[in-house]
Amino acid sequence: MEYIGLYPLFYFPQIGSAWLMGITGAIHIMASHTSVGAALLFAFLAHKAYKEDRPELYDYMRKYGMFLLIFSYVVGSITGPGIWNTATVASPRGISALIHNFVWVWATEWVFFIVEVIGVFVLVYTIGKIDRKTHLKITYMFALASVSTLFLIIGIISFMMWPGSDVWYQTGSASDAFFGINTFPHMFIRIGFMIVMSAVAGFVIASNLKEMPLRMELTRKLSVIGLIGGFLILMSFLWYVQTLPQSALDLFHTVLWPLNGTSRIITVSIIAAYLLLAFALPRLITLPFATVMLVVVLVLGIWPGEKMRESMRKPYVAGRYVYSNQIIGRDVIGKNIKSEMAIIAEKGLLTVSPFIPERLRTITPENQLEAGKLIAKLACSNCHALEKGAAYRPLPDRFPGQDAATIEIVLNEVIATGVRSYIPPIKLPEHETKALAAWLATQN
Amino acid sequence: MDMSLVLNSLRDPAGVPFYPIVFQALYILTWALHIAFVLLTLGGMVVSIVGHMKKNIDDNWKLLESHMIQVSKISVSMLIVLGVAPLLFTQVIYDPNWYVTNTLSGLWVVGFIYILLAGYSLLYWFYYANKSNSSMAGFAGILSLAALIFAGVLMHSFAYESIQVDQWMNWYAPKGIVDNSGTNLHIDVVRLAFMVSLSAPVVGIFLLNYADYFSKREDYTAKYIGFVRSLGKKIALGGLLVSAVLFVLWTFTLGMAFHPLVIAIVLSVLLLLAMVAKGSNSYVITLVLVVAALLISTLREVIRMNIMSKYGYTIYDYPMNIDWPTVVMFLSTFVGVGFTAVGFLLTLAWRAGRTKGVYTADATVTKLADSTVSITILWVVIFLGWGIIAVFKNFL
Repeated sequence: MEYIGLYPLFYFPQIGSAWLMGITGAIHIMASHTSVGAALLFAFLAHKAYKEDRPELYDYMRKYGMFLLIFSYVVGSITGPGIWNTATVASPRGISALIHNFVWVWATEWVFFIVEVIGVFVLVYTIGKIDRKTHLKITYMFALASVSTLFLIIGIISFMMWPGSDVWYQTGSASDAFFGINTFPHMFIRIGFMIVMSAVAGFVIASNLKEMPLRMELTRKLSVIGLIGGFLILMSFLWYVQTLPQSALDLFHTVLWPLNGTSRIITVSIIAAYLLLAFALPRLITLPFATVMLVVVLVLGIWPGEKMRESMRKPYVAGRYVYSNQIIGRDVIGKNIKSEMAIIAEKGLLTVSPFIPERLRTITPENQLEAGKLIAKLACSNCHALEKGAAYRPLPDRFPGQDAATIEIVLNEVIATGVRSYIPPIKLPEHETKALAAWLATQN
Repeated sequence: MDMSLVLNSLRDPAGVPFYPIVFQALYILTWALHIAFVLLTLGGMVVSIVGHMKKNIDDNWKLLESHMIQVSKISVSMLIVLGVAPLLFTQVIYDPNWYVTNTLSGLWVVGFIYILLAGYSLLYWFYYANKSNSSMAGFAGILSLAALIFAGVLMHSFAYESIQVDQWMNWYAPKGIVDNSGTNLHIDVVRLAFMVSLSAPVVGIFLLNYADYFSKREDYTAKYIGFVRSLGKKIALGGLLVSAVLFVLWTFTLGMAFHPLVIAIVLSVLLLLAMVAKGSNSYVITLVLVVAALLISTLREVIRMNIMSKYGYTIYDYPMNIDWPTVVMFLSTFVGVGFTAVGFLLTLAWRAGRTKGVYTADATVTKLADSTVSITILWVVIFLGWGIIAVFKNFL
């Protein structure tokens, strides 16, 4: 008996398990981006307060700091490991691939997390209780530690898209994986967004200040900072697109941009208009308005962008060698990793997966539909909901009114051959293809 | 099903990037640190809630309550950040166990995050409601504690399920019918009760530290310090006795009552009892507590190793692909940045906390501050330089 390392499968009805990961991930990105951006802003404000002897800025920093503690260090610090949890549930082999390649990078990031968490408490609670020069040094250290967490995670996320060359597949070195072709443009996009977020969150705190001249001054300064961040995003995005793999570019040009392009242009325009308004008429940035806009910018700015990035990565989930359905799709010589495509095509998923009830390992007329459903879950449920008419990519809806024989032809001619670049080529033995087609024919 | 074959098939084909024993040691160390803050949070929350109920009849409780809410608040942040490391290292060497558990209990694993989020948010509500004397404060505190305990029960369940290898298939496909709902939740009541009971000695000893620390501040009365010290002693003594009984019970259920490690833990608990009863220096007591925590963490790992060896799984033969550049990066960051920065922050916080009014950094703290900033700048320069060279090498 030979097994491949497929884990038991968790499936969340109607939306599919991968979307759970997307939701937790988006919440984390909102909090963590604001946190890093605010750390940079803190250093800037503390520098200004110290050099220009502006004690009123410390009061603003204390309020911003308390907001940050709740928003970023409650939500952000929990949803960070939360991404691991949900990613594990949805894509155990995807997260395992990242962990086993980058454990020391993550461990290094953890060192900075510790510095950051202790740092933020010391930074906020020692305002007015220690000398200002030492406090200024804490803000410098805090900003450096925060931005270092970005430097460390960005290479891992970029590797999920692709390393950009064949080098890593030959050497297996984390350095060749981490510093891929789109690591730096991706990094600058994130830095830009963090800067925008620090300004947009900063407006909320500034709008609550009683001293009007300070409120006007801070709102104006923050708007300039936000506009610089926005410009950085736009320039870096143009660079980033040039570093994507061809399949992602194809998907981007043929599907994603035609579908989402207009809404993205509108989003950018809304954010730019808001920042310009804050500069021109800072008085209009009131607490309710600033709070609503914070939510608007977070939701409009993050969810569609992250969704687009996740979609462009298809059909892979990590390093263009682990498919979204957890199957290893190519050899990685440097790590002695072998593709599992051939053994699945020869023996079938129900034979080589460890966690299959014995009675389903052999397909019979009696269990064919049950086996077909299980194959659909194993092969397709990471991207597709299995219920007809479900909210996200319902699989039965892809075969409207087709009978088993027609579906079998589609599975053999389209899915097994990999002609659709964003779907993993799923080549199964004949008996499993028939079982999958038979079950799909009962669902559409 | 041949579980030995299954477990070894589930291992990540990339192998591990360093000697497995190093990950194991790091796991033991970081889990001990993590659990210390878990226990301090739970114990601190209970003291806060009791304090909240008694603060109107006793001023001592009023001050202690507000401080313990702060302690719990910071402690939750610390337990989360320290919990990241054992979560990382267990995935490296025991990936089959961790990922099977996560998929079998998927719904709870995802739920855990939001329950913890609710518990921590409610703690902030407790903090602010208490500050503004809101009548809802106690309610918020109790809800927060309940959510945090539930999150703890879930994490215990994941750890317990991960070593019940022979049950996995029964849980995944009871009677041969596959269940993908991820709703499995199984616990070991005695083990859980023992772990939770440790929150009493931990918070008791923390209160002894607190009393010793603030006894040097002239604005804290001797009466208040005496009150906290006496409370800490009572909680620590009672807690140690209860934990000791539960520990012995647990080890009997495992058939390990006379294992050398178990005997060492029992001896360390007896030593702690004697030191607390005698009123020894609380910082020395804390050091013994840290040793006891490390021994308990080691015992957990020994239990897991024993179980896994029955299924022919040992971490020591995990295929290795050593990745020296990232090993060097971690070690140099851990020692260079980590020690310096944490040393600076803790020294500063310690000295500032003991000073009435504004603290002005002395030469040591100033040197630590300057070193931290310089080392971190150097780290950023080296990291980005490395990245640029790698990109030039591979793409130009």
